[in-house]
Amino acid sequence: MTVQTERPPSGPADVRKADGGGTGRPRTRAAARAGALAPYLLLLPACAATVLLLGWPLLKDILLSFQNLNMGQLIQHVTEWNGVDNYKETLGSEDFWRVTLRSILFTAVNVVLIMLLGTLVGLLLARLGKRMRFTLLFGLVLAWAMPIVAATTVYKWLFAQRFGVVNWVLDKLGWHSMADYSWTSSQMSTFFVVTLLIVWMSIPFVAINLYAATTTISKELYEAASLDGAGAWRSFTTVTMPFLRPFLYATTFLEIIWVFKAFVQVYLINEGGPDRLTEILPVYAYVEGVGNQHYGMGAAIAALTILLLIGLTAYYLRIVLKQEEDEL
Amino acid sequence: MKRSLFGRLWPNATAVVLFIGFVFPVYWMFATALKPTGDILSEDPVWIPTNITFEHFRTATDVDHFWTYVTNSLTVTILAVVFSLVIALAGSFALARMRFKGRRGFIIGFMLAQMAPWEVMIIAMYMIVRDASMLNSLVPLTLFYMMMILPFTILTLRGFVAAVPKELEESAMVDGCTRAEAFRRVILPLLAPGLMSTSLFGFITAWNEFALVLVLNKDAEAQTLPLWLSSFQTQFGDDWGATMAASSLFAIPILVLFVFLQRKAVSGLTAGAVKG
Amino acid sequence: MKRKLIAAIGIAGMMVSIAACGGDSDDGKKTGADGYAGETLTVWVMDGSSPDDWQAAVAKEFETKTKAKVKFEVQQWNGIQQKLTTALSEENPPDVFEIGNTQTPAYAKTGGLAELADLKSSVGADWTESINESSVFDGKQYAAPWFVANRVVVYNKKIWADAGIKELPKTRDEFYDALKTVGEKTDAEPIYLPGQNWYHFVGLAIGEGAELVKKDGDKYVSNLGDPKIAAATETYKKFQALSQAPKDKDEATPQQGEVFAKGKTGAFIGMGWETGIAIEANPAIEKDIGYFTIPGPSADKPEGVFLGGSNLAVAAGSKNQDLAKEFLKIALSDQNEGALAKANGVIPNKDALQTNLKGNAAAEAAAPAVAGGGTTPLIPEWAAVENAPNPIKTYLTAVLKGKSPADAAKQVEGEFNKRLAQEQ
Repeated sequence: MTVQTERPPSGPADVRKADGGGTGRPRTRAAARAGALAPYLLLLPACAATVLLLGWPLLKDILLSFQNLNMGQLIQHVTEWNGVDNYKETLGSEDFWRVTLRSILFTAVNVVLIMLLGTLVGLLLARLGKRMRFTLLFGLVLAWAMPIVAATTVYKWLFAQRFGVVNWVLDKLGWHSMADYSWTSSQMSTFFVVTLLIVWMSIPFVAINLYAATTTISKELYEAASLDGAGAWRSFTTVTMPFLRPFLYATTFLEIIWVFKAFVQVYLINEGGPDRLTEILPVYAYVEGVGNQHYGMGAAIAALTILLLIGLTAYYLRIVLKQEEDEL
Repeated sequence: MKRSLFGRLWPNATAVVLFIGFVFPVYWMFATALKPTGDILSEDPVWIPTNITFEHFRTATDVDHFWTYVTNSLTVTILAVVFSLVIALAGSFALARMRFKGRRGFIIGFMLAQMAPWEVMIIAMYMIVRDASMLNSLVPLTLFYMMMILPFTILTLRGFVAAVPKELEESAMVDGCTRAEAFRRVILPLLAPGLMSTSLFGFITAWNEFALVLVLNKDAEAQTLPLWLSSFQTQFGDDWGATMAASSLFAIPILVLFVFLQRKAVSGLTAGAVKG
Repeated sequence: MKRKLIAAIGIAGMMVSIAACGGDSDDGKKTGADGYAGETLTVWVMDGSSPDDWQAAVAKEFETKTKAKVKFEVQQWNGIQQKLTTALSEENPPDVFEIGNTQTPAYAKTGGLAELADLKSSVGADWTESINESSVFDGKQYAAPWFVANRVVVYNKKIWADAGIKELPKTRDEFYDALKTVGEKTDAEPIYLPGQNWYHFVGLAIGEGAELVKKDGDKYVSNLGDPKIAAATETYKKFQALSQAPKDKDEATPQQGEVFAKGKTGAFIGMGWETGIAIEANPAIEKDIGYFTIPGPSADKPEGVFLGGSNLAVAAGSKNQDLAKEFLKIALSDQNEGALAKANGVIPNKDALQTNLKGNAAAEAAAPAVAGGGTTPLIPEWAAVENAPNPIKTYLTAVLKGKSPADAAKQVEGEFNKRLAQEQ
């Protein structure tokens, strides 16, 4: 057994061996060695790109995080090392921890809402008749396809203080104090708009994929469950859920990443305001680094942000590690 | 299974409410863009634009370099998507079908790469590009956009490749195809929906990007549409008509692409997402 | 004032491109009398600060004299500091650029600006001292003063007539009473004053003789706790109470000119050119627009004003130093400087040129306050303070929402001091 490019039970090499090898061309040692190299060669472009285009900026960012880099140094191309000062200052600042906590809460609330509502909408899709399903799918696809910058602008308009349609509706519904309400005036109302926007944009991805996943569950499983006397809820928990679990894990992982990095939505709605109260970590890094032209500090916050994100998703990464192990 | 009238009604009723909720912002964008300013800034909203005007679209496109932005955006986005698809296809095939040392490491590596918060690394990227004298060029943009979508593309495509029955490939090889031929003739066609759905995602990401291009390309000749759109707020202040017209124009290519490819994309993404 | 110029004069006119294309790969070796042929000078001007005609006239004169070309690139205020900083670090920075007067010291300190001592001695002998102040750092000339401008009261003549007001107010109290009358006698909003029109607040503070920062040892710290600042804040609050404008927005969101254009606002405090926005939005409003100097504590002492303005600087990294200075000489010549003052109603950099303001109602209303005007502290550390979220804006909103000035000062002190202490 020299060629091991496939999973043992079905790999072509094995198959051929098992068949007696009469049909294929004879395999030489050299070919085998080339075969062993093949996966690395196939991965080479992707890895090269990652190292060059991601690894390099990342390394540069880490180097910058150990520098005092402001307007002057940037303009003059001066490198001024200052050790771990940026980290010391960041980790020692109350702001940073407040923003970190806020980011985690923000991510948690959004991801829970997205996954919960997305799953419900997905299950609803499965129950609908054909025409209704197509209609709802169309609506979901429209929302899904809206580019972020455009969607954010539209939400600003919907929630505009004067002539915004949301305020008008609330006023007409009898909530007159909302007639001229400024949604960006307080932390919670700004977060409300941002969350609504993010949830609105993200539900379609979860719902449509979940719906598609449920269509692949075979009917027999449900029949078997109902023969066993399972009700709707039991068959949901014993058949649907286990089937969807890997999908839900994967999607939650993606949503955590996407929401945690939701820079554009937060920044464009209110630039992290009012009073920096809606800054999440990426926005904080941007405001401190680029906005205040304190680039070294921004780089340090960026590095810490990356670490935190890895921490948040570590659980899922571990599952993947294990799963891959089992597969092989 | 019989259901009560209520049981049959509520899913449809919920669906209608949801449909309105999801469509309204998109509808309102187009509706505002088509209304004369008087109807936009009216005390009571004009729900359906009756005197349609293209005035706002004219304002929005009557900007210097508009067509340059369009060309640049299309060039950068399409190239980034195509490059990443080609590179990812090779990588995902290895990850899905081959067994080799360090495979898990690669997978975890790409998952980590997917988390990269690009917006916060912009100054690092800027300094690299500046020191390489590549500012005001579409080349670094294309490369970085490609990288932004590459991890997702690899991981998703890997799911699609794994979903193609191995037997098909094997039988092709038994019929005398080489592995590469089997890939091209058997797997590739079956991957079409996967390629489409991942390219959609990539297309959106690259089409949307503005933080990087803002810093890298100060020359209008090398700028892209998101900059044009985001600058509207400052240039046009309260002119929601023009802003919405610009948003509409910006969204249309993606909307069309999505609705067009929707069915294939939908069935596709699942396979990918399940594999993560 | 930087931000406000933003949507300035011509909403659409600004998108002018002055032949912006051009793959100029300047080698920048040639010098000499007319050896500039083939060169292109890049000039960044801010959105709304100079009219197209002015740019065209300057470009023509420049091209005739030097045989080189000039390329004006209009910049947006939003994010300009970051853009300028990165641009100055690049191989091909803009050769000449407009820079806000309060931002000039910070950039002078970075070494990104070329020294212009020779220009000062050749054409700047009679620059107005107070206007030139911001261009000088460490005793050296790092920019050329271009213009300053200050705020006036813009009022709606028709509404004031409806309210039965015959005489324009001369003092702060009369002004307040007049606004009250408007509120009582008409259904218009007496004044549109958002909570974060912070340049007006800076003007009030200057009028009180207050300083925004003070020295603490060798560094600057917040001085918002000063009773003089509190007095200015109280004045602001008193007038703001007459307005329904949001307490947490500045005068550009929405543009107060656009609000005024609807004809339901009695007055606002703004730059003369902001009425251009109003007229753009509603041409019928033009005949109702009037201006007067912001009234101060007494009839002979107008309110303090913030003298916002712009300087022109040359990038230290520019390869066209001589050409850039040639450009400045032309752009700042009496004729062109006068034309700019006339067209935009801004205060020119020489007293002698103020005659150009004659007949410009807004500028005539602005001029009396110039003598009592001032700027934000001209220290390099100041630039960081103005970055969003500006702690002074936060301070104002806090007071308007009910905090005492002292408490509000305490609330923003940390952020304010942090920015002042930011390592440069």
